[in-house]
Amino acid sequence: METTLFYAFATLAIGSALLLVNLKNIARALFLFFIVLFAMAGLYLFALADFVAITQIMVYVGGVLILMLFAFMLSNKELLKDLQDSSGSFLSMPRWQAVILAVGFLVLMIFGIAEWHQSIPTWIQQAKENNTEIIPTDNNIQQIGLRFMTFYVLPFEVISVFLMMALIGASHLSRKERNR
Amino acid sequence: MITLTHFLVVSACIFCIGLYTVLSKKNAIMILVGIELMINAAILNFVAFGKYDKVSYGGQIFALFAIVLAAAAVAVGLALVLNVYRHYKTINPDEINELKDK
Amino acid sequence: MDQLAHISPIYTALFTVVAPFIAFLYQAIAGKRDQSGIISLIGIIFSFIFGGLTWLAIWNNPIVSAQINWFTIGASTFKVGILLNNLNVLMLFLVPTVALPVHIYSRAYMKGDSGIHRYWMYLSLFCFAMLGLVVMDSLLLMYIFWELVGFASYLLIGFWFTRETAVQANKKAFIVNRIGDLGFLIGLAIIFTQFKTLNLVDLFGEGGLIYQSTIASGQWVSPVNSMDQIWLTIAGLAFFLAAMAKSAQFPLHVWLPDAMEGPTSVSSLIHAATMVAAGVFLLATVFPLFNESALLFIAIIGTITAASAAYFALGQYDIKRILAFSTISQLGFMMVGIGIGTWDAALFHLVTHAFFKCLLFLSAGAIIHEMAHLKTHSHLDFDPQDLRNMGGLKKYMPKTFILMSVASLALAGFPLTSGYLSKDSIIISSFEWALSKGDLYLIIPISLITVSILTAFYIGRLIFKAFFGDFRMLAQVKDKLHGTALHEAPNTMLIPMFILGICCLFPLFSLNPVSYHDSWLMDGLLLDEYTFAPSHSAHLIIPLILLIGSVISWTIGWKWYVQNKYPLNASSFALKASFNQGYINELYQWIFVSGTLKLAQFCYWFDRFVVDALIAFVQFIVLSLSQLSVWIDKYIVDGFVNAVASVAYWTGNQVRLVQNGKLQTTLYSVFLFVLLGLIYLIFF
Repeated sequence: METTLFYAFATLAIGSALLLVNLKNIARALFLFFIVLFAMAGLYLFALADFVAITQIMVYVGGVLILMLFAFMLSNKELLKDLQDSSGSFLSMPRWQAVILAVGFLVLMIFGIAEWHQSIPTWIQQAKENNTEIIPTDNNIQQIGLRFMTFYVLPFEVISVFLMMALIGASHLSRKERNR
Repeated sequence: MITLTHFLVVSACIFCIGLYTVLSKKNAIMILVGIELMINAAILNFVAFGKYDKVSYGGQIFALFAIVLAAAAVAVGLALVLNVYRHYKTINPDEINELKDK
Repeated sequence: MDQLAHISPIYTALFTVVAPFIAFLYQAIAGKRDQSGIISLIGIIFSFIFGGLTWLAIWNNPIVSAQINWFTIGASTFKVGILLNNLNVLMLFLVPTVALPVHIYSRAYMKGDSGIHRYWMYLSLFCFAMLGLVVMDSLLLMYIFWELVGFASYLLIGFWFTRETAVQANKKAFIVNRIGDLGFLIGLAIIFTQFKTLNLVDLFGEGGLIYQSTIASGQWVSPVNSMDQIWLTIAGLAFFLAAMAKSAQFPLHVWLPDAMEGPTSVSSLIHAATMVAAGVFLLATVFPLFNESALLFIAIIGTITAASAAYFALGQYDIKRILAFSTISQLGFMMVGIGIGTWDAALFHLVTHAFFKCLLFLSAGAIIHEMAHLKTHSHLDFDPQDLRNMGGLKKYMPKTFILMSVASLALAGFPLTSGYLSKDSIIISSFEWALSKGDLYLIIPISLITVSILTAFYIGRLIFKAFFGDFRMLAQVKDKLHGTALHEAPNTMLIPMFILGICCLFPLFSLNPVSYHDSWLMDGLLLDEYTFAPSHSAHLIIPLILLIGSVISWTIGWKWYVQNKYPLNASSFALKASFNQGYINELYQWIFVSGTLKLAQFCYWFDRFVVDALIAFVQFIVLSLSQLSVWIDKYIVDGFVNAVASVAYWTGNQVRLVQNGKLQTTLYSVFLFVLLGLIYLIFF
């Protein structure tokens, strides 16, 4: 049961991503992206990272995606077009150099993963032996919150400041120019 | 049985698709989407490994940070795209191939 | 005189030879400035005096010879020197004795000729060469003078070189003589190979190498070498070939009739008395070399020569041609004399023949001189040498007539002349020789007797047609001139002729007019004994036959030519063949001259169409190869370089596309290299 669901989510994610890259209409691509993100969140759940899944939905979908949609919808008609190809079909032909590279990376990574599968790192084995795996009955939020405030407090603060800086910077960058 | 490998394979696929998107799309926003996909794949990787780290929850924490950074990147990226559009009147990266202003 | 007698004969001989040479040099340097010929005359007088002194010193006295070193090659030294024995000094005295009258005669005969300075020069050169020939002691030096004599003859035959016939004649003489020179050279080579020396004393002297050689088991063995015995015959025949050409034997006689193109005085000296006798002299010198077969061959050729020349002489109309054939015929006699082994008889005939033939030619020259004189004065155009234009000259030129008749009698062998002694010696000896050999050999003496009778006939014909009867040109001449136009010859011509005439009579040679064995000349030449037995009956019968035959032929001749009762058809084939010299000249022309020309044409054709075609073919191949290499160079070599350049250009062009300034290109290349690096790290 679990396996089937996992495969479903995985297929959904990958399929949407594939479709996403082949569409010419960007609006539809963005909506597919939306679905990808959701499927990724589902996958996080399988890795017993419930807080990350929720955060993904809230921040990514609710924030990033909406931002992109707004930025995209409120702009010119010309931006809607993806001038990848001159053909007028629904799906566009992929560019072969990029395909080769992507496929090459994929093959390489899968090969690496398959090899790595033979020799699992010691810390994972130790985690399995010492029972320091995360089990579904763990209270992840409480543990993450604890860690945030004690272990990772500095990165936490830094990233807050960083986020603020990024947003200020972004808003400054996109200010309206005086008429020249 | 869902092993670590399954997550890694999915992550690899998403990453490569994102890579393809970055390299082949003629729209700056689609490039940003590609970047997002790659970052998502990386986050999935983190989370998959983080399952074995109950001691310091390193994987999941880092995944959260990555989400934040991704958001920031998108924000700034969009601002940049807007500026580029104002200057070059196009967001086709192929046409922005010279250092000087058009 | 005492002092003169005490001079060594070597020096007198040397001076005899050198005196004409000095005259030659003087005349060559003086050229046209001295046209009198006095120096040549003085030279020949000195030769005469010193020749006589040498003869007196050596005749029937011990042999004298002297040598000096000429040059050294390696270990062998070549010497040159003078040999004086009976034979040599006889010739040494004979030549100036005949040349002196000719020189005096020439002063009158050649007077007024525009090239007379050249004439004196060549004449002195000839005398020098002839005198040198007879005294040399080495066969090689003899050969050098032999060639020089031929060269002088060439110059003198073609003396009037503006005449086409003269030029052709001297060319012919020289070429035919070259054939003989080839024979001389072959003989020289064989002798040198066999004996390793060319010195006459070493070879033919007392106990010389020739006498030490034997024929053993098919090999000719000499003290230093041995070769197959065929070479002995070949050496003999080679020397005879030399004599054949020089002494005009059949079939190499063809140059002598044409040599009559030269001045008559030249003909008398060279082509009657001296140069043609050089062949006989050579054969007498190398006589010990001949073996049986060579001697038989010589005798046969001599007989054929005598017979054919007499036949040709019968039909000639030109005075000088008749005399030329007569010379050839008498030379045939001399060769027969050598062939049968009696070379002393041959030399005796040579000496007597020199005198009477010279006189005959000089008389003919006197006649021709007068006829030419007549021709220029009367502005008529006739051949002054043609017998048919003469006749009845006895009236106008009595002294010439007497002298010429004396010479003719000597030629015919009439008793009381010197010719009787010498000719009979040969014929009688040949008869004795044939008897000792076998009956078939009697052909030779019988032929000789026949030839003698024919000789009497043709010389009688000449005398009758020229001197008797009426002058055939008289009618034509009388219209143009007044009075008699023909004179006797001038004294400058007559006196030398008179001296020669005296020498044609018997007292000079033997006090016994009948038997030749008593002649001092035959005694001196010291042939021990003949190889055949003497026949006393032959000594009586043969002279009788000859006398009767001559008288009969003269009677017939008188009837035919003086009384003009000529029964034969003048244009019958036999007479025509005789006049055309048996068509031998035409045969030679057809075989040798045309053949050589055709060969030359063939060589020209070959050169043009085969050799040049070959060259053109090679040229074509080379050109094609060069064009091929041009093509290769242009399309393959340059093409390769251009291809490399194009590849580099294209590669660069492709690689250039990376630098297009596009963002995604940069990203792509980054990721590509990362991928490649990862692959490298993982797999290698």
